[in-house]
Amino acid sequence: MELRRKLEILADAAKYDASCASSGSKRKRADGGIGNTEGMGICHSYTPDGRCISLLKLLLTNVCIWDCSYCINRKSSPIQRARFKPEEVVRLTMNFYKRNYIEGLFLSSGIIQNADYTMEQLVLVAKKLREEEKFGGYIHLKAVPGASKELLLGAGKYADRLSANIEMPVQEDLDRLAPEKTISEIENTMADVKYGLDDAKDRGQKSTFARAGQSTQLVVGASESTDTTILTKAESLYKKFLLRRVYYSAFSPGEYTDANLKKEKTPAMREHRLYEADWLIRNYGFAAHEVTQGLDGGNLDLDLDHDPKLAWALRHRSLFPVDINRASKSLLLRIPGIGIRNVDRIVRIRRFQKVRLEDLARLRVSLSRAKWFIITADHNPDVFKLDRLSLPDTLKRKIDQPQLFASSILTTAVTGEL
Amino acid sequence: MLTQVTIKNSFESWRDAVRDLLSRDVAPCDVVWTAGEQGALFQGLVAPSRGGHRGRDFRVSREFIKLASAVACIDDAEKWPLLYRILFRLQHENPNLLMIESDVDVRRSRVMEKAIGRDVHKFHAFVRFRKLAGLDEEVYTAWHEPTHFTVERATPFFARRFGTMKFSILTPKGCAHWDRKKLIFSDGVDKPFAPAADEMEDFWLLYYRSIFNPFRLKVKAMKREFPVKHWSTLPEAVLIPELIREALSL
Repeated sequence: MELRRKLEILADAAKYDASCASSGSKRKRADGGIGNTEGMGICHSYTPDGRCISLLKLLLTNVCIWDCSYCINRKSSPIQRARFKPEEVVRLTMNFYKRNYIEGLFLSSGIIQNADYTMEQLVLVAKKLREEEKFGGYIHLKAVPGASKELLLGAGKYADRLSANIEMPVQEDLDRLAPEKTISEIENTMADVKYGLDDAKDRGQKSTFARAGQSTQLVVGASESTDTTILTKAESLYKKFLLRRVYYSAFSPGEYTDANLKKEKTPAMREHRLYEADWLIRNYGFAAHEVTQGLDGGNLDLDLDHDPKLAWALRHRSLFPVDINRASKSLLLRIPGIGIRNVDRIVRIRRFQKVRLEDLARLRVSLSRAKWFIITADHNPDVFKLDRLSLPDTLKRKIDQPQLFASSILTTAVTGEL
Repeated sequence: MLTQVTIKNSFESWRDAVRDLLSRDVAPCDVVWTAGEQGALFQGLVAPSRGGHRGRDFRVSREFIKLASAVACIDDAEKWPLLYRILFRLQHENPNLLMIESDVDVRRSRVMEKAIGRDVHKFHAFVRFRKLAGLDEEVYTAWHEPTHFTVERATPFFARRFGTMKFSILTPKGCAHWDRKKLIFSDGVDKPFAPAADEMEDFWLLYYRSIFNPFRLKVKAMKREFPVKHWSTLPEAVLIPELIREALSL
């Protein structure tokens, strides 16, 4: 098969993995080599789906012995199959990299023969890049669930990031949709990667094991699992395996996904809300149960009309208003419409002067959300409306511009703004 | 009494000027800033003139220098009086002024600093090297249109990353050339100097088309991070209209 055709098929097959992060790893260029990483991720392009192109994202092959119903590459899918030779991936990566199209390679694969063989093939490509081409750019390798610990530890020597996708939050979902997969096997793989990370840390700064850590992905909306189940699982994965990121991918029934699955598309807003909630859990001191508990009417999905921080504040109005000039930092972080960086700025400013509404306006705080919940040094008339029954309606979406789509959260992950 | 100050468009030139102004306690509102030597951006960098009147000594925090050297790259002449005003206020009003980020001047300078950070970041992202045809060795050139004067700030990155590759980056606001040893700057050039496509560009466009997911069209999200003003220098951008059309017809 012609290389162009392979690229077409195996890039198309790779696009369901949402991660395109290239940050969090530092590597100097090798003598006589090409490429480095400086810690900052770079998005070299964007496609009209709002996603960034940072890495050359490919499957080594879309041949797969597994039959996961939500996946376009499953065994029973009637798609055309292709397989790259390792040197073809190496050549494409080097040629793209030298033209500054990409930060590096994200290589995944369908399962060929078995987990170990598949993992070996992925590692082989990374090894060629690092050792033969002296490539210093970013490499993200899929950690194939069930691959031997030895192979995974070898992969981490070449890769900046490893990721084993958990796909579903509970075993019952996997039993129904991905019968060959088990949560325990995937978690064992994450544990092996974590072993490599811990071991590297113990050995000190010189170590080079997967410097950008590990991540995973969940498919949202292909099963009946609610956001509560999903976020609770994500929180436990963050804690147990020190994941850098959990990605959420809204299931969209395409031409070739299993016809027995749900026909409706998962709303993009649901995926977006999950990313926001995930962000609160990682950076704002929220626990998963705080973000999800008490959702009205027994509905255990996140509120689509209000962002999760605003929804939480509306459910806990007795804790407000918060005095901007006196509150602790952890309480300031709970005010809707005020991000982490502005909290830091406010804390600095109030050492020298009282903070007023106009200060907040100049800091570009989202006052349309924040003003109901705060006391400032000057008169704030809106705070008297905090207890109105109609406040949730007033604050419905029209002010919560759905402009922060998941992709933008992915790309601003480095800057830390929500 | 008004003091007229003529400077080149460089941080060093501004620094030399304000040394003198501060030593004479000239109030910011009494300074008229005018630009000299337009179009010779890089000549002033070889040997910034010292000497002359040095006057009283004053201290400037490292943080201010960092801020000012970024703001100095902004394509907006307002930057020079703004920076002097902040410097003067740091000396006379509040040495902690930079902490008060809701202050109008501080805010404005931080917004400018952020714009420079973004421009440098987009510089790193959107340069597209093209291999020159018909040469014995690999030489790459790129055409880029930065919004601000960020050539010197942004291009050392490429030297670190592609140290073993000869390349030139051409822009209307200055050019950078790497001969595998040294980064050399020259004045800006016009678009006709932009290089022609090489043999890999086809593969890149094919990749761009294939990695796009037509089932989740989000044009607004794309445009926010991928400003339309850069599309003309990015080969893959020609595909955007047809990809959107195809997605809408699904």
